[in-house]
Amino acid sequence: MLNLSSFVQRAQQLLDPTQGLNLTDSDKNPSKASLFQNQFRLPASQHPLFEITAELTIPPSNVTQGEKDRDRGYHYAGKLHLSESYLCFSTTPSSFLQSASTSTASAFTGQTHGGGPSGNGFTFPLCSIRRVERLHSQNFQFALAITTWNGIAQETGKDKDAAGKDKKDTKEQRITIQLAGPRVSCERFCDGLKKGLRAGVGSVGKLKKVVAECYSEYLLRPEDKKTATPPDAGLGMLFRYPGDPKKLRDRAKMRLWAEYLRDNGRNVTLIRQPTFHKLIRVGLPNRLRGEIWELTSGSVYLRLEHPTLYAETLAKFEGQESLAIDEIEKDLNRSLPEYPGFQSEEGIGRLRRVLTAYSWVNADVGYCQAMNIVVAALLIYMSEAQAFFLLSALCDRLVPGYYSTTMYGTLLDQKVFESLVERTMPILWEHLVRSDVQLSVVSLPWFLSLYVNSMPLVFAFRVLDVFFVEGPKVLFQVGLAILRINGEELLDAADDGAFISVLKSYFARLDESAHPKSENPKLRAVTRFQELMVVAFKEFSGITHSSIVELRLKNKDAVLNNIESFAKRTAIRNLGPDSKMLSTEELGALYDKFYGVLYERQQRDHIIQEQARRAKPNRPRAGEAAANGDDHNVEKGRVGLGPSTSLMDYDAFREFLAGMAKWAISDSPSTPRRDNSTDKDRSFYNSFRKSDVLMSPWGAGPEPADHEFLQRLFKMWDVDSSSALTLQNVVTGLARIKGKRDIMGAINYFFELHDDDGDGKVDREGILRMSEALLFLSRRGLEGTLSPSNSTLTLNNMAEGANSPQNEVPGQTVNERFLGSVSAFIRRCFEYADPDHPRNHYSGPGDRAQSEEDLLGDELASPDAFAIDDESDEEDEDDLLTMDSPAHSPRTTATRVVDQAPPPSIHLNSAPPLSTNNSDMSDRRRVSRAQSERANIALDPSNPLHITLPTFRMVVLADELLEQFFESSFPASFHILEGIGGSPGGAGLSPTAASTLTTFSSLGMGAGRAVGAALGGGGGVPAAAAGGRGLRGVLDNIVTDGMRVAAEVRRRMEEAQKELEKNALPGQRVGEDEEDEEEEDVPGFERGSGGGGGAGRSGGGGSGSGGGAYGGDAERRSVRSSDRDLLAGADAEASDVGPVAGRVSVGSEGGGGGGGGGAVNGSGSGSAGAGGGAGAGRVVGVEFDG
Amino acid sequence: MADLANAPKPSSSVKLVLLGEAAVGKSSLVLRFVNNDFQENKEPTIGAAFLTQKCNLPTRTIKFEIWDTAGQERFASLAPMYYRNAQAALVVYDLTKPASLVKAKHWVAELQRQASPGIVIALVGNKLDLTNDESTSTATTASAENSSEGGAESNGADDSGDARKVSTDEAKTYADEEGLLFFETSAKTGHNVTEVFTAIANAIPETSLKSARGGAGGGGAGGGGNAAHGAGRSEEQRVNLNGPRDPNAKEGCAC
Repeated sequence: MLNLSSFVQRAQQLLDPTQGLNLTDSDKNPSKASLFQNQFRLPASQHPLFEITAELTIPPSNVTQGEKDRDRGYHYAGKLHLSESYLCFSTTPSSFLQSASTSTASAFTGQTHGGGPSGNGFTFPLCSIRRVERLHSQNFQFALAITTWNGIAQETGKDKDAAGKDKKDTKEQRITIQLAGPRVSCERFCDGLKKGLRAGVGSVGKLKKVVAECYSEYLLRPEDKKTATPPDAGLGMLFRYPGDPKKLRDRAKMRLWAEYLRDNGRNVTLIRQPTFHKLIRVGLPNRLRGEIWELTSGSVYLRLEHPTLYAETLAKFEGQESLAIDEIEKDLNRSLPEYPGFQSEEGIGRLRRVLTAYSWVNADVGYCQAMNIVVAALLIYMSEAQAFFLLSALCDRLVPGYYSTTMYGTLLDQKVFESLVERTMPILWEHLVRSDVQLSVVSLPWFLSLYVNSMPLVFAFRVLDVFFVEGPKVLFQVGLAILRINGEELLDAADDGAFISVLKSYFARLDESAHPKSENPKLRAVTRFQELMVVAFKEFSGITHSSIVELRLKNKDAVLNNIESFAKRTAIRNLGPDSKMLSTEELGALYDKFYGVLYERQQRDHIIQEQARRAKPNRPRAGEAAANGDDHNVEKGRVGLGPSTSLMDYDAFREFLAGMAKWAISDSPSTPRRDNSTDKDRSFYNSFRKSDVLMSPWGAGPEPADHEFLQRLFKMWDVDSSSALTLQNVVTGLARIKGKRDIMGAINYFFELHDDDGDGKVDREGILRMSEALLFLSRRGLEGTLSPSNSTLTLNNMAEGANSPQNEVPGQTVNERFLGSVSAFIRRCFEYADPDHPRNHYSGPGDRAQSEEDLLGDELASPDAFAIDDESDEEDEDDLLTMDSPAHSPRTTATRVVDQAPPPSIHLNSAPPLSTNNSDMSDRRRVSRAQSERANIALDPSNPLHITLPTFRMVVLADELLEQFFESSFPASFHILEGIGGSPGGAGLSPTAASTLTTFSSLGMGAGRAVGAALGGGGGVPAAAAGGRGLRGVLDNIVTDGMRVAAEVRRRMEEAQKELEKNALPGQRVGEDEEDEEEEDVPGFERGSGGGGGAGRSGGGGSGSGGGAYGGDAERRSVRSSDRDLLAGADAEASDVGPVAGRVSVGSEGGGGGGGGGAVNGSGSGSAGAGGGAGAGRVVGVEFDG
Repeated sequence: MADLANAPKPSSSVKLVLLGEAAVGKSSLVLRFVNNDFQENKEPTIGAAFLTQKCNLPTRTIKFEIWDTAGQERFASLAPMYYRNAQAALVVYDLTKPASLVKAKHWVAELQRQASPGIVIALVGNKLDLTNDESTSTATTASAENSSEGGAESNGADDSGDARKVSTDEAKTYADEEGLLFFETSAKTGHNVTEVFTAIANAIPETSLKSARGGAGGGGAGGGGNAAHGAGRSEEQRVNLNGPRDPNAKEGCAC
């Protein structure tokens, strides 16, 4: 027997290897636990712990129970399973152990095919087992005798002694199980069982309570309790059960059931034998119906877990309002109104309570029309609590997704139904297609209300009887049978209307004879309903749970996509007026990205958790497993599946932005990232388990940065301060940035972002933060349209060999120039800032305001004023460059100050005279700090100051680059449509991204110096001293350090040119064609080409294109990475400087500062080092020594 | 399936779908139109209900195949199944609930983009009986929609005290912008209900009419104007429950 079953099992594996059981968990590969839970209809807290092949022996009747009868009785071979608190036996040979292959676990036989308590056997809660004895037997067989608490409800504590006397009423249920297997595994199983039994003792009280509500206890009550009041078996006890009890032969059925229950245990201790299934097929007796539904659906086990959940939920939420409750109220009066119970307050009250309680415990589902009808039907046969738990079994397991907010389960099953019709009744199907009749229009209500509204109640309940044991396939079988029986008439129906009326009239005549004209009286007595059942379960016996599962799997994506595109359409249309500022495509892309991020994050969390769980050694112990018991098998995360999340928290927001804006990507990933290219082809929605690598919390995407600017943006968008963004928030937020393309708007927005208290002022800290933000946003380069300005031309001309102003130089140097702009920005901000207290005014009363006005006047009068200034700046810088010595900053700044004629600039004097002699640096630093503290009043914390929006605006407009930044590049940096992954710049997402930053720190030597300066000047500001916030220190000193930037530019140009010369491959295409992938690198070459003149240019082309399409990329990258190694040494040295390195790392914030900064430096100058040869190398070395 | 007995006028069928927020009275409007009946507690529509009703115009007979959809928000994703191929749509809102007009607008937008081109859409504000508008008192006024609209508009001004929350002007303006037919109705009193359907029947372009199942193609051109005429005279016929094989049962009792 055992051999046979294992053979069958193997055969099934071969036949149906991909069989999945439930869709909800992980589609193709459902977890063993969920398969196990499904087969025995156990709560999600249960996991298969042990299993063993066994033979069950049931004494023929308890009346004659005893040793001598042991060999007679019924024997069943099958498998015994042990979970945390259940002992299950089934003749269905299935295995759920970790070691078992999935197909072993999912290959089922029996009526339910894994969809429910199939085959013969039992599902005992361990707390219902009273005693387990090991039997001494010959043959070294391992046998257990199990005695249950059958009829526990009848025994009170005091009755213990009387129990013996009662024996003929409440018979002891005792079964024997022979374990077949190696002794070790038998022992292990028994150990597990022992443990479980011990743990279960505590639940006996619960069990008693739960069981007491079962009608069977009343039915089988001992003689002396004949007067006890029966437990609530539904509204039917008050308002009569539907149908004519005589016609239903209710009494006879009741007698049969009483006998069966007496022999085979009642409620939780019931043993399923073949008669059980037969008894269900003929229809349950009214008073037992609720209990058997509860048992077969497994909802009784849910009730056993939390016997008081229903009452507690009602109490907890008493008096509270919700949308679901409003919806429920609307339908209470119209749920099965034909049943008298629902014309009464009593019935309506029960319905209200059950629906309301469920809407609280499962807020995701809430309330869906049709639930009212189903629950009303349940309430006719069961108590409120029973109906409550049965409803959750329905929603979670039996008809998953039917009542969800997107009703995807309903739609999916309609698709499945259609394909079954197509498969089983091709002619009818063809007719439907030809006459354009949509089947689901007819069949959807059948499924949604489980036939309750479609058929007369008595028949619908018969369908439900089977449905609860055999699972959802019953709905399909019945549906197919309906169509088959009415096939001919349906073939005549030419439109929806006709189609519907055929079926309506059929349902109305279900109680009539199926063969009214037959001679045979027996045949004549067969009703149409009986015929329906026969057709459903005989003709369509091929429709199994697994075939349904398979079809669901097949259609699921299409259905979800449909729902999602509908939801998307609707959502986008309803985003409100702000959304009109964005194009439909942009909105669509935003929608996708928004939910894409949410979904991916959810999946990732789940997988990471799963991995963590698997990583735990050994099999899960009872407690642990229970703790891990995931939140049922309700799948979440896809829009189509309903509202798992529609809120984006800050981390998700970061990830969202990182997929859209380059600057939102972290420079110093804290977790090693997998190579992106391997994931490129993965499909969006289902693919995570392709690799077993422990996942980064950010998945395959780049790790998003965490910068104060992001936090501010998040706060700004989070208009209702809920710490979460809706799609609406995101769209509105982006619309304000991207929508108008209005520079003033952008400037205002930026100001608003930093105006913490909304008083129209931004203080010193705020100014620094703004500058930080500007640098943060620009560190991967600027986008948008940046016109070559005077200044760039100037710079261009400065460049050695700038004989070709038309070359690429202007555009490419913008990024570095922007650093200069920012430093100018901060300087100007401080220059024009208003003191918080007039007496702190530095430059004397009146002067400031005066000068400011003048300045504005100037600006208005001659828009070129600032351009000219810039030019002069650049000239200065250029002078510096040509001088090849950085020791001129005082002059530069001084010049600026003079040019601009603002109140005396504070920083200038404090700027330490720089020297190429690095050994002097530290000394000077110390000195200069003191100096700056004294001299730099703007930085003096005791002189609070602020800028206002007009000042800010003025300062921004004073700089052409900043102006362009706000006008174009900031809005343009949000790549809504294309994203940043898809563009050729995708490499920008790769780890090498860090190397392409335009920051002070990446500018090799600038870094070292800037830091030095930072210590000098910035040290005065307390905040600057904060470790890790390196940027602040830099910023404080930018003012005095502007020319370092220029020097760096210069240096890089030289290096790049050297590299060019080295790499020059004449004849390659010129750099213009190049995609600006990793554009920060390219500038190096391009600049070089500018500097190097004709030869240099072609060389630039060569290496430039190498970076582009022709595969030179790898070469370049490899060079760079080797350089990075080389430079790691330098970095190490740099970090030896201690706080210095920390501060340098502009791009890499916070904790990652030290290492990140190092990496940045390394790769930043890496390319230079490669091409630059000894000279450049030396320069770098020198700088880092400092 | 031309009527065996009498088919004097060309008959064609029009698929009409009702959309709108839950409990605005979609099913009640249909019930009033089809059965001239009103139920206080109407069973909720699961998925959709299907009913038919004829509407006699001077020149032709329109057989409405009415798809009455469920209003609960989550059923919205089923809607495309029902408005597929619809030639007309009734988008209903509750004029005591401004939110329902918002939802109605969403539906209009959805239909305009997703439904068959040329679909005739009527915006209907239901529950006029809950307002103080005097024109609602009688259901029998077979007045042309012009007059009743005028009445409603004039009354829209003095909203004091009644439950109206959506002014006629607001909805009318919106309807005009979008090119929708517009009515305010009361399914309870029957006010303006048949007018809605008649106006829709008139608005359906001749060309888009299927050469009715069994009917001769739309022969007589519609003198579209006299809407009030045949309105209300239409047969009250629920979708019949008799076998479809009997053509008489199907359409015979009409006309």
